[in-house]
This record gives sequence, C-alpha cells and structure tokens, in this order.
Amino acid sequence: MEEFVKSRINEVRKGDHNAFGEIVEIYKDRIYQLCYRMLGNAHEAEDIAQEAFIRAYVNIERYNINRKFSTWLYRIATNLCIDRIRKKKPDYFLDAEVAGTDGLNLYSQVKSKEMSPDEKVAKMELQEIIQMEILKLPEKYRSVILLKYIEELSLKEISEVLDLPIGTVKTRIHRGREALRKQLRNI
Amino acid sequence: MGQCPVNIKEYMHEYLDGEISPEHKQILQDHLAICSDCQKHLHELEKTTALVQSMSHIKAPDDFTLKVIEKLPKEKKKVGIKR
Repeated sequence: MEEFVKSRINEVRKGDHNAFGEIVEIYKDRIYQLCYRMLGNAHEAEDIAQEAFIRAYVNIERYNINRKFSTWLYRIATNLCIDRIRKKKPDYFLDAEVAGTDGLNLYSQVKSKEMSPDEKVAKMELQEIIQMEILKLPEKYRSVILLKYIEELSLKEISEVLDLPIGTVKTRIHRGREALRKQLRNI
Repeated sequence: MGQCPVNIKEYMHEYLDGEISPEHKQILQDHLAICSDCQKHLHELEKTTALVQSMSHIKAPDDFTLKVIEKLPKEKKKVGIKR
C-alpha cells in the first residue's frame, strides 16, 4: 500500500491531478472520520477534511517520501481541526449541530421546553452520547483518544502525528481516559 | 480501602496500553483482589474504551474526492516561484 501511494505521489509531484484523486480515495474515509469525531459536525468535517487534502497537494514537495504518508496526512488534518476548535467562540457550540441529530442543535435543546434534559438523553442514541462526551474533552485529549481508539494508530504513530514525545502521548491518553470514564461511567 | 498503592492508577493505564511490566502487573493483580474500589475503577476505564471503540465507522460523502479535485489549484505551485 505504502509503495503504491509513493508511486502515486511521484506522479502528483509532476502535476497529475488524477494520481492525487487516487490518494484521496484511499484516505478520505479515515480523514473525514477523524474530522467528524473531532468537530462533531458533518459540514465542518467535510470542509476541514477537504482542506487537509488540498494542503497536502499544495505542500506535496515538503512531504518526506521516506516516512508514512498517512502519518503526514493525519498531522495536517489534526492541526486543522485543532485550529478550528480554537477559533470557535464558546457560544458557537450552541449553534453547532449535534452529531447525528439531523439539524437539532444545542440551542434548540436548551430552549425546548417539552422534554427535560434527562428525557432528551434517554432518547439519544448511545453513539450520540459518546460523541457528545468526546466533544467535551479538551482538544489535546480528544485528539489522542480519537487517534488511538477510532483510527487505531499505535502510540508511536500518534507521537509522530502530533510531534510529541511518546511519554506525553501516554499521559494524554491516560488523562483522556480518566475524563471520559467520569463522563461515561453511568451509561 | 485507603491503602491503595501510590501508583495503582498508573499501573491500570499501563495495563490498558498493553505495556505493563510483570512486576507492576503483579502489584495490580494483588491489589485488585482486595480492593473493590480499584476493581470498579478499572472496570469503568475498560467500559469507557469499549464504548469509544463501539462507535460506528463513518464514511466521507460520495462526492468527496470530486470536490477535492475541483478545488485543487490549476497549476502546481513551484517552490520559490511566485505567480
């Protein structure tokens, strides 16, 4: 797989858009999924995932062919997601569509009077609850938890994606797990 | 109770990461056998990771690749050359 990707990258470097299309096909689901879980919003996820591939294309000369392409791509996507999260104003979250609720946002949930929060939670799918709790994690814990448990990267790969020492990655995973434990233990 | 080894939580995470040494594992096992609080804690951590892993995989929208290709700059930027 890596060899195929590298041969395609050589074509991309000559300006071949179709070769880049093949690369996008290989990685689009993984990158989109990471963005979706990081941001909790389909529209933003698509926007940021597209941006990640465009940046990869524009900066393809900077990619070190001796390293794993997916690591580099994850790195671009993760940085873009974190930038997006940091730019969000706190009240933005009220407008953000709640993942998987088909247009329902937190603002409408807060305003709505018909159901108590408990009843709403009871009606939410388990998957939505987990996603919601992941979104409550600070982004430095959110990214490591998602890279490990959703994208199934090794600790070493995560340390390369985030450019952090492996010890720091472990500490963040531990703290992220502890935070999520408190949030999810009563489910 | 109240007698938990100082680093017992650390050992739980080492265990969850599959990186626990035989010595730490022994300490953890011995302690879990007598401490229901720590047993519960580890169980909750395991449940947490199982819940996160149970999230279904999502796919990119069907027209994703097409949209990316359409947005690519028409001429590739050459390093050091400004247009």
